[in-house]
Amino acid sequence: MVNARLERIRRLAIWVLLAAQLVAFSFLLPNFLTAGNLGNVIVNSAGLAIVAAAMTFVIILGCIDVSVGSMLGVLAWLTGWLTTTQDMPVVAVLGIVVATGALMGSLNGSIVAKGRMTAIIATLGMLFVWRSVLYGLWGGRDLFAPPLVPWLGGMRIGVVPVVGLIALAVFAVLASVAKRRRFGRDIYAVGNDRQAARLNGIPVDRRIIGAFALLGALVGLAAVMQMARVGVVQAFTGRDFELGVIAAVLIGGTSITGGRGSLSGTLGGVLFVAVLQNGIVLSGVPPLWNGVALGAFVLIAVGSDVLLERRSGQEVPA
Amino acid sequence: MTSLSVSARPILTDRRTMLALLLVGMLVVFSQISPALVRPTLLVDITKFGVVVGLLALGQTLIILSGRGGIDLSVGSALSLSGIVMGLAVSAGVPVWPAAGIAIVTGVLLGAFNGFLIAVVGIPALIGTVGTLFLYGSLALVISGGRAISGYGEAGFPFIGQGTVLNVPAQLLLVLLPAYAVVGWLMARTRFGRTIYEVGNGDRAARLVGRSPRALRFWLFCISGGLAGLGAVVTNSWLQTARPAAGSGFELQAVTIAVLGGTHIFGGRGRLSGTFLALFVVILLNAGLQFNGVDQVWQSGVLGLLLIGSVVLNNLLSGEGDE
Repeated sequence: MVNARLERIRRLAIWVLLAAQLVAFSFLLPNFLTAGNLGNVIVNSAGLAIVAAAMTFVIILGCIDVSVGSMLGVLAWLTGWLTTTQDMPVVAVLGIVVATGALMGSLNGSIVAKGRMTAIIATLGMLFVWRSVLYGLWGGRDLFAPPLVPWLGGMRIGVVPVVGLIALAVFAVLASVAKRRRFGRDIYAVGNDRQAARLNGIPVDRRIIGAFALLGALVGLAAVMQMARVGVVQAFTGRDFELGVIAAVLIGGTSITGGRGSLSGTLGGVLFVAVLQNGIVLSGVPPLWNGVALGAFVLIAVGSDVLLERRSGQEVPA
Repeated sequence: MTSLSVSARPILTDRRTMLALLLVGMLVVFSQISPALVRPTLLVDITKFGVVVGLLALGQTLIILSGRGGIDLSVGSALSLSGIVMGLAVSAGVPVWPAAGIAIVTGVLLGAFNGFLIAVVGIPALIGTVGTLFLYGSLALVISGGRAISGYGEAGFPFIGQGTVLNVPAQLLLVLLPAYAVVGWLMARTRFGRTIYEVGNGDRAARLVGRSPRALRFWLFCISGGLAGLGAVVTNSWLQTARPAAGSGFELQAVTIAVLGGTHIFGGRGRLSGTFLALFVVILLNAGLQFNGVDQVWQSGVLGLLLIGSVVLNNLLSGEGDE
């Protein structure tokens, strides 16, 4: 185990970084610190936040899912198709899309658990498989859908966006699952030592499939929110979405080798990533730089983590 | 009888036998559904679609073989970035051959940065090279402004990518085959080759016989990056343009080919000849799909399934897996 003091420093680090970022942008960018802009940041990053919350569980397990961007594309298409051709109430659309997402996620999880595959290889394969599925569904024509319901899009209560409250609720529920439910405790145990967890009678395969299914379900929710906001699906919808999600979780202090991490850290990581992207846009830097900044921050976050763990005398597994 | 079954088993279960049978089977199937594809001249000609990815698969095989979760997912982006650097050099007035040298050096440096992150800092290779996949890929877009850079017509440079020698693509004859021959010789005859297998079978044991796993991995990432740079040179010569996303998706193909060729994802086991055969399986598969009008996006979907299938197969055959 990493010693307690290092752990506290690591937990605090993300909030210090976030504060520094907020102060810097407030001084440098005149339009940054306005209720309107901060509201936009929340509306634009609520989907990222929800998916990152579930991704935290998957990474604590010692796994990862790089296929969430392609899944988001497929599920956004499903949302658009259901609303344009099936004339269903929003609640039914939401239910079907979330359930389909859970099925897709449990397929990913089954390949990892039952096929005994490294998660990144399995989900890298699935990234391309889901992308092909979207391509087939899309069939050369962009799908436009009428605005779903305002509360899943940009609607605000006063100045507070509704989707921000939904994202907070998801974080609260998952944080309590992580702390108080057996599912949550098992996930830390599996991430710390899969063999030992198995010997202790934890249903390892079921936990892995469950965490991937939860991730898929929340990708479904994010897809419905994306459609409510954007209203169009293209062949490349959702591409590179996984980078922001994984960056948020890792910058938030969850260990890439599993067993360690928190929902509150991920919330900080999400805000950091969302504010960074907003700052890049506001300052007029070409958005192409987004990928450079995120890639660099992921490497810095993981690198500092590995170095800290090494200094505290723990051998880092591959 | 007993002696026969004992000696026959390794041949039958050898991945290379399986791949050879698979190749023959695919040729039979394609000769039925698209006879126009299965002609010697065309079959030789389509090999040029596998040269660049074959170079990347070569580096990938070495890195995976060296064990401890070794993998290089940044090769496609390293190819794009090296190609763009070469394009910018040519635009700035550097003659094309020295510019090609610059591309290869760029590849080696990008590989060295991977090697630094993974072998020196100690970041797991999977996440480290996912980070540089995005980093190098975005840098290629940023420094080119998202535009393709053309114009490499001088001094016989297009011959590498476009020329043929006795109807065989020059890039196969002058680039891919020599690269596999050199690395194959290194693997079979030198200490370097033995060290890869020793380190791949376990760091501790390798250290006991005086090998440095860290130094080895660092150099393997440099080699992988250098091969990506070489791939960029071939691509620029062939297409006469450097595109900022030239290598995107190649990492999937490279990993798939290495794993399909029998390289075990946890290292220590695998052969270059397996990778070489798997390369031709993937070339033939892609050509067959292309020939029947199947779009590129679907081809990568099939490849994704092939990757998952071949890892599951490796795990089943060896009775192991990710634990």
